Amino acid sequence: MARVLAVLGLQGQGASASGLELLGLGARLARATSGTITALALGEGAGAQGERLLAHGADDVLWCADEALARWPGEAGLRALERAQQEVRPDLLLFSADSLGRDLAPRIAARLDAGLITEATELEFSEGRFVAARPVFGGKAIARMAATTELTVVTVRAGAGSALEPDASRAAGGSVRELDAAIAPGAAWPTVLRREIEASDGPRLEEAKTVVSGGRGVGGPEGFQTLQELADALKGAVGASRAAVDEGWVPAAWQVGQTGKAVAPDLYIAVGISGASQHMVGCSRAKTLVAINTDPDALIFETARIGVVGDYRELVPALARALRELA
Amino acid sequence: MHVVVLLKQVLDPEIPQKAFDVDPVRKVPKVERAPQVLSIFDGNALELALRLREARGDATITALTLGVERADEVLRKALALTCDAAVRVGADPEALDSRQKARLLAAAIRTLEPPDLVLAGRQAADWEAGQVGAMVAEELSLPCVPFVSRVEAAEDPLTVRQQLESGYAVVRLGGPSVCTVTNDETNVLRAAKVKDVMAAGRKPLRVIAPEEIGGISGLGPAVELLALELPAKRTGAEMVDAGSAEESARALARRLRELGAI
Ligand SMILES: Cc1cc2nc3c(=O)[nH]c(=O)nc-3n(C[C@H](O)[C@H](O)[C@H](O)COP(=O)(O)OP(=O)(O)OC[C@H]3O[C@@H](n4cnc5c(N)ncnc54)[C@H](O)[C@@H]3O)c2cc1C
Repeated sequence: MARVLAVLGLQGQGASASGLELLGLGARLARATSGTITALALGEGAGAQGERLLAHGADDVLWCADEALARWPGEAGLRALERAQQEVRPDLLLFSADSLGRDLAPRIAARLDAGLITEATELEFSEGRFVAARPVFGGKAIARMAATTELTVVTVRAGAGSALEPDASRAAGGSVRELDAAIAPGAAWPTVLRREIEASDGPRLEEAKTVVSGGRGVGGPEGFQTLQELADALKGAVGASRAAVDEGWVPAAWQVGQTGKAVAPDLYIAVGISGASQHMVGCSRAKTLVAINTDPDALIFETARIGVVGDYRELVPALARALRELA
Repeated sequence: MHVVVLLKQVLDPEIPQKAFDVDPVRKVPKVERAPQVLSIFDGNALELALRLREARGDATITALTLGVERADEVLRKALALTCDAAVRVGADPEALDSRQKARLLAAAIRTLEPPDLVLAGRQAADWEAGQVGAMVAEELSLPCVPFVSRVEAAEDPLTVRQQLESGYAVVRLGGPSVCTVTNDETNVLRAAKVKDVMAAGRKPLRVIAPEEIGGISGLGPAVELLALELPAKRTGAEMVDAGSAEESARALARRLRELGAI
């Protein structure tokens, strides 16, 4: 009879797909123990999400839209979490492995003396406890872990769970309540002065239907111009590996991967990228993954759907031409 | 201003999968000669500290690691990059969980001049937990700003850039804080100068035994590693090869059309 608390961060945009996945995962785990799941919605517009979250599997919803969450996301978020923890007394505290979850989870785990497992790709209830699997050593190994403490805290990667079919009739059964977080800002709290969205001419990387990404094999900033032309022909966006960012060829905002952006386009074309797992984490949700690489033994040919061995300087312009012929 | 940078020595993350195996009993990697490097985000944190010191002039930097003796290599590297002091907590990180490591690191920091800023990589390149920096903040009762890529304004109060999913936030610190560091084009770790490498060999390293700073008594491991396994083998890509680049590109375009990808 586990009590699950799933934390969903909102920024005035309603619950995200990964938030609803997290809720679906939490709801299934709660059922597996004949327990209950509470969704904690944090941030602007959280109050309006109650029915939607109930329909997607929450038994109850707590929300907090305190303005402090925007100015002091970490410290105010922790206060709200502490309050919610006292009310719900969860056995399992779930976060998405995104900037909010990766920020709050280690701190609340330390505060509550709870075991934390981050970046889980699987989470199940087995022999009386929650067991998570997560890639380690850049995906070269998988670790199975469990907390030894009463409370288990987990951050979950996108794709580890799936959203439940919404069922509006569930909304009648659950309660939606505002959390009385009483957040009094501390003088030492780091303050968000402003937020900037990177400018982009074309579609945004994280929303684009097609992404053309370049790595160290692209050889320099000029090479990225060639990739940009292909991306333009496909109305897509350009991404990059960490190596290309480290070389200073492209801005860090283009980095795809575990510690860059996670993209889920219909088509991902990886050019001059060797296929390190930290990169592949960021594009594994692409429907079709194409790799262009001079090295026939490149690791990326193991994960790609389609591979072409060759020099991108010939292949990429030729592909742009071939696409125009087809159009 | 005193800046403490947390550094971890890790198994080189660039070793190929072919060379990587696991010991399923001890639940540790099994790699021949096991090359060790400074964890990459810690390198970014170190670069950020060096740039901050250049911008301010009044900063001193202490490099702090937790590790066995060979981890002195990362401290030597930090000294060669002109860090002012280097300290190692003599403990085996493989035998401790994140919280226990944070407890020891925080205790070691308390023996130093109180820091204005503690920097740590956002996650280590081996177990990739992404916990220690934030937990050190909790142990020291300091606020924490994660995913910092650069300092926006080096005068007090410090203002930093925090990377977010789409874009970034500019965050003003309110006093001593912990920042975990993520990479961007401005914080790639520089190479050491030859003369500084020579000098670093002569600089003192301080080693602290866990017992000297209170150890981790009363703090058992909060997480248990049940198994360490190799990932399931993946099937390979369908290779497109139609002779010339021009023909292969055409074949690829047609295949993408068939798959409905374009
Ligand atoms: C904790 C951690 C987090 C990380 N996070 C990320 C992350 O978020 N994103 C990320 O990308 N990386 C990340 N990395 C780094 C990652 O491990 C790799 O180092 C990086 O992805 C390698 O980039 P690359 O494939 O571009 O470079 P390389 O591995 O150097 O590969 C270059 C490839 O280009 C090919 N090539 C060369 N010339 C040509 C040509 N003319 N035409 C076609 N192909 C050519 C080569 O055959 C080679 O396969 C992380 C690492 C760690 C340890």
